[in-house]
Amino acid sequence: MNRMKLLHIFPVVLILLGAAMVFERPAYAYADPGTGLLAVQAAGSALVATGWYLRRKIYSFFRSDDSPRTDTEERSAIARGEDSQSQ
Amino acid sequence: MNGTPDFSRQDSGTASRDKELELTFRDPAGELRLIAGCALRRIRPPAEEETEAFLASPLRKSLEQSGDLIPSKVAEPGSHPSIASGELWLEHPRLDPISYPWEWTTAQWRAAAELTLRVASQAIDAGWTLKDATPLNILFAGPRPILVDVLSFERRDPHSTVWLAYGQFVRTFLLPLVAARHLNWPLRATLFERDGYEPRQIYEALPRWRRLDHYLLDVVTLATLFERPGPKRAGSKQSPSTKEPSLATHLLQKRIARLGKQIRHAAGERGHSQWSHYEQSARHYQPTDVEEKQQFVKSVLARCRPERVLDIGANTGTYSLLAADAGAKVVALDSDSAALEELWRTAATQNKPITVLVANIARPTPAAGWRNREHFSLLDRLTGDFDLVLMLAVIHHLILREQLPLTHIAGLCAGLSQRWLLLEWVPPTDPMFQEWLRGRDDLYGHLTEDDLTHAFAPHFAVVDHARLGNGRVLLLFDRI
Repeated sequence: MNRMKLLHIFPVVLILLGAAMVFERPAYAYADPGTGLLAVQAAGSALVATGWYLRRKIYSFFRSDDSPRTDTEERSAIARGEDSQSQ
Repeated sequence: MNGTPDFSRQDSGTASRDKELELTFRDPAGELRLIAGCALRRIRPPAEEETEAFLASPLRKSLEQSGDLIPSKVAEPGSHPSIASGELWLEHPRLDPISYPWEWTTAQWRAAAELTLRVASQAIDAGWTLKDATPLNILFAGPRPILVDVLSFERRDPHSTVWLAYGQFVRTFLLPLVAARHLNWPLRATLFERDGYEPRQIYEALPRWRRLDHYLLDVVTLATLFERPGPKRAGSKQSPSTKEPSLATHLLQKRIARLGKQIRHAAGERGHSQWSHYEQSARHYQPTDVEEKQQFVKSVLARCRPERVLDIGANTGTYSLLAADAGAKVVALDSDSAALEELWRTAATQNKPITVLVANIARPTPAAGWRNREHFSLLDRLTGDFDLVLMLAVIHHLILREQLPLTHIAGLCAGLSQRWLLLEWVPPTDPMFQEWLRGRDDLYGHLTEDDLTHAFAPHFAVVDHARLGNGRVLLLFDRI
């Protein structure tokens, strides 16, 4: 399921990125936000958001609730004094 | 407060003497007036609630404690004739002299930009945003930049992914630095660009290969290509946003961080000039001459105990630092940005009360802006404000390079100093005098120390002097 989500996110991101570049949105500011620089912000946001979502998906892919902990994680949890049975 | 000066001692200058100044006229949220001892800011009714919320916020307290924001307190009704009951007025301390961005060194530009980004970042984390991000909202208190516009803060939509002042920051902070680094457009040219440079101006001037520079691609090239001339489409008032506030914060902080990298890159390496290593390379000064000169300056500082010193032709600031160590607040003036940058770095590192201004006293920064009343001239800001003026190794520049008569130089000094003047006379036999004499012996080769004292006699009397081994003479004048 997570793999499918990962595959679906790419076209969504591309559409967002394209939309950000194509659609000019009015901005209501005291200082002139500039049309080009506003679009740059939108495009930059789309790119950074992509990384943000991807990181989250990749993280959840490797750390789903039903997946067992790795040895390292288990040792870290014990070192922190957590009860592994309660996880 | 975009485009308006704040907190200077404007009333000491001719443009503002004997009258109260209203300095803010662009910002619909408020106005600023200067009175003796403080600056008063009226908050107009539509902005009162937002301003009071900001004043009560932990963000304001934190920024004031760190020294990044000018302190504010609510002015008592009746404390000044301007304050009517029911109005909200704030009182701020005055910082002087005002230094405009076109009088800053590159390192000061960087420091001011980084302060703005630091404040913007803290504001985002605290649920606020900076609606203004222009160098005109920054003043220098000594070497330290301070944000002086409390009306720049507004609560932010936690879902919005846009920093509305981004464009202004890029135009007014980043692109002037980019233009200075890659196109050799001087930073002082920003005097004529209230809202900075448009990306297209830089794009068209840059070589094609430079347009693809990693640090310029978005703010210059893409911003130019995405530009949409003509009227904006009517539509939703929604600005780009996300449903997740944590993502919005992440996006805004990433944008701030990238701007920080771009500013550091554009500010570039430390600059050098003919004058930035002048003291190390000066061949007309033997170590004993330097020692004698410094001892005499120290003795003058001990005798005069000045509170405010103007160092004209400060170079890297040897004598400004001596004056600061003697307890004076110093304004250091020089037309050489690289030399003055050395002084600013020293003052900033050692926290010395020295304000540096890149300006030429022979061609002082003019008044500028709307009706020539928005930004005050250099002499309006400096006139009559000092009890000691240092003019060391400057007189031959004014005589030979600026072709100024001695009587005019005396008149200028009399306008700047309320009491003392320490001047270094450079005789025509001096190697530096000879270097710039260039065959004009008939005009200047005959000048003597007596000509100098005679020209200054209507304003000043010599009260002490020291003759250095290299033939130069240090003269301490007192006002008549």
